[in-house]
Amino acid sequence: MITQERYRTTVKELLANGSIKMAIGYKPGSTPDRRRPLFIRTSEEAEQLVLDSTCVQNLSGYLVSEGLLSDEKRVGIFLRPEGVRSINILAAEYQLNADQIVIFGFDSTGREVRPLDGRSAREFSGLLNELKEKPLQIYKEPLLERIEKMNAKERFDFWQEEFSRCIKCYACRQACPMCYCRRCIVDSNQPQWVNTSSHTLGNFEWNIVRAFHLSGRCVQCGNCDRACPVNIPLRLINQRMANEVLDGFDHFAGLSATQEPVLASFKKDDTETFIL
Amino acid sequence: MSELFEPKIVAFVCTYCTYAGADLAGTSRLKYAPNVRIVRLPCTGRISPMFILKALQKGADGVLVSGCHPGDCHFTHGNYHARRRWMVFRALLDFTGISPERVKFSWISAAEGSKFADLINSVTEDIRNLGPFDQYQQLIKETESPATL
Repeated sequence: MITQERYRTTVKELLANGSIKMAIGYKPGSTPDRRRPLFIRTSEEAEQLVLDSTCVQNLSGYLVSEGLLSDEKRVGIFLRPEGVRSINILAAEYQLNADQIVIFGFDSTGREVRPLDGRSAREFSGLLNELKEKPLQIYKEPLLERIEKMNAKERFDFWQEEFSRCIKCYACRQACPMCYCRRCIVDSNQPQWVNTSSHTLGNFEWNIVRAFHLSGRCVQCGNCDRACPVNIPLRLINQRMANEVLDGFDHFAGLSATQEPVLASFKKDDTETFIL
Repeated sequence: MSELFEPKIVAFVCTYCTYAGADLAGTSRLKYAPNVRIVRLPCTGRISPMFILKALQKGADGVLVSGCHPGDCHFTHGNYHARRRWMVFRALLDFTGISPERVKFSWISAAEGSKFADLINSVTEDIRNLGPFDQYQQLIKETESPATL
């Protein structure tokens, strides 16, 4: 509660003195444990701001809305550490200018919410480097380990079962801050790379290609996982790929705004054990 | 006696090295397994993982991707980018249960005609041992619009 009040005051101050034109935060949703995004432009709107442990959505995707940042004014946003990583990736991919983003950082343990120090993405680098050093805690997931122990056939059956439920609503894409392409590969129809009907084969195509496009970019915010109406454990694939780039290329996505995207860079001595 | 299974293999090759290598194999009159369909592309960096997926979805039993040796790329570093992409993509295939054995990668230069012929033979043999890609072929049937290679 104290954190919420403090941030409410800060947002009002910054809006009043013109240092930000808008702040993106959370307001109550349709049920007590749900939150929806709040776009604060006036101090009255700031009254609706809620900040507690149920504020889990990564809001950074709203920053790349068309025209929002083009007037070069600054925008404030409430972010957890993984949200700050998203900002860094978006900046590294030239989707936004990190200096335009004022961060209201927070994190929660249990029901307790605590503010994080720093207002710009740069000031979070210490915290993010700590996250990189202890990634095992983030990436260890019992189900992920179970899948890795399966043989290929069991894994295929597992994913076939999961993907057969997919209805191709693309909620995962809409929820993902990294899926900002103007024209997604599934929307392109000449050639038609991904089948649009939701048969299992097409669902395999879609989910594999999305996971590939997120390799080395996903920050495990869990937006896709929560958005999925049929509860496909999408976070598992994305976590597996994050582990892969961390082990293979020592790449932890979103450490800084100048970090090179892992699949857009290379080293001459990259491993190539699998090449005949 | 049942008939020997003849796998369908799609090879995505770069025009400057592996395609020239395949050409050399041809002009040197080397004999190799006829199971491979070659698709020529400007560079391995041009080979999107989408191509590999598409080949499997259209009924290929195996895919071969081949290009210039590291350092020999016509575009200086297309194959370095491709190498990273493949490594990640292989892990992804493995994790989703599509056997990475079905997708082979290699470096073949324009001078390695005999390596090309040997590779095609060994890849064909490997895929033949793995058998048809039943899991995908079942899924293709379910789509009601099976497109065959």
